[in-house]
Amino acid sequence: MINLSRTAIAFIAVLIVGTAAAPVYAMHISEGILPMGWAVLWFLASLPFVVLGLRNLRIRSEKEPHFKALVGLVGAGVFVISCMPIPVPIAGTCSHPCGTGLAAILIGPSISVVVSSVALLLQALFLAHGGLTTLGANIFSMGVAGSFVGYGIFVLSRRMGLSFVVAAFLAGVLSDWATYSTTSFILTGALHADTSFWKMFVTILLAFVPTQVPLGILEGFLSAGAYTFVHSRRPEYLGILVKGDAV
Amino acid sequence: MFDLFLDFFANRDNHLTRMDSRTKMIVASSLILAVILSTKIILPLIVLAVCVSIMLIIGIPAKLVFLRLIAPMSIVLALVVVQTFSVNGTGFFSVSLFGLHLVATHEGLTHGIMLGSRVLGAVSVMILLGSVTPAHKIFHALRWFKVPDTWVEIALLIYRYTFTLADQTTDIAEAQKLRLGYSSLRRSLSSIGVLAGTVITRSMDQAMRTYEAMTLRGYNGAMRFEALPKMPKTEFMGLLIVLPLIIATYCAVEWWPK
Repeated sequence: MINLSRTAIAFIAVLIVGTAAAPVYAMHISEGILPMGWAVLWFLASLPFVVLGLRNLRIRSEKEPHFKALVGLVGAGVFVISCMPIPVPIAGTCSHPCGTGLAAILIGPSISVVVSSVALLLQALFLAHGGLTTLGANIFSMGVAGSFVGYGIFVLSRRMGLSFVVAAFLAGVLSDWATYSTTSFILTGALHADTSFWKMFVTILLAFVPTQVPLGILEGFLSAGAYTFVHSRRPEYLGILVKGDAV
Repeated sequence: MFDLFLDFFANRDNHLTRMDSRTKMIVASSLILAVILSTKIILPLIVLAVCVSIMLIIGIPAKLVFLRLIAPMSIVLALVVVQTFSVNGTGFFSVSLFGLHLVATHEGLTHGIMLGSRVLGAVSVMILLGSVTPAHKIFHALRWFKVPDTWVEIALLIYRYTFTLADQTTDIAEAQKLRLGYSSLRRSLSSIGVLAGTVITRSMDQAMRTYEAMTLRGYNGAMRFEALPKMPKTEFMGLLIVLPLIIATYCAVEWWPK
């Protein structure tokens, strides 16, 4: 067995950091990564949330016929925002926000899961980000974890008396970090092989740190800025949208 | 990102774009399944070669195919590195980093390359499917696979207005740049928030206009979809040939002696 020189070690370190510092691609679990059993498991895990979102959407649009158009268009808006390049200072690259935290505080977490499932399918088919067999896993990490954590933090912060700007900021930051933590968890389950689960989980999580910690904070600013803008210019829209998921 | 997104090629006229979306989705799903279940590197690489060749034959620029494959390639690289150090076996070099003794194994490298080939094979099928099938046809075809109409309705709305909103976003971002909106980190953070907020308010303005227009056309809270046409007989027959062919190729590759 060969013991590597410092140059070789440096090369491997750069390779690992370099590949990890591709957050645009790391946001979604790529097609082909998950073995079939894991792919099915994550589909089954995310299915109830999509069904719940569709049910809430259908019930609410029966009472308010314009609601589907609103969700569709806000979904398109959030999808566009999630494709906006924002510079990540530490990594020196551009990345893209998840947008699920913002979507969840605007249209509610379960409906945000439905919107995420559409956005993820579009990105898989037309951008080669994500995939069909990994759609369930991606819905779970980005849609379910991102939306419910973002919405939960927003509601909790407001109940604690924090301003909506701070609440929206925290929702953006923590929904982003929740997405990447869940992605790390899913990847670890499928890829840890002979390494211990937690060791691999921490390794993957640490690989995300250089890009996702600053990106999460930037997403917080984006969510806070967007929410503040809508709140100051069109507060009536928030009244139409934000009724939570309790139908 | 939207430069890559455009499904311009899916709206061109060629043999593959004329095919029924359901046929393409069934074949694509079968190929992806075969690639994922494959335990040998050869099948994913055959699928990759066939898909890339078809894309080049139907006139998709090699540069675009390459750009779309960059994302999975970076993932493949990470997979190979991670698997090389996480599978037990015969070591071929070792590294000590921060007190951790990492051993790269032949078995790990082989497994990493196997996983990497699966990613490339499966992603190439997805790219080909997206290059010969417009999104709205895929969404309509999903109804045939029992995806609820509500989901399809939301998907059609999101797809319909994504490009309109993306154009408006680009215009606003350009205007912000001209007014030095991104000249410092502080101004950048403020500008990006305003940009995102503007996109949301514009999308809601558009939603109200869209709803009014839809109401004038008899919309009452749910889109009415036409019944999907029967799958053409020739394509059904084609499926009866192609699917067993995929299964036969899979079996032949899997059980081929080393």
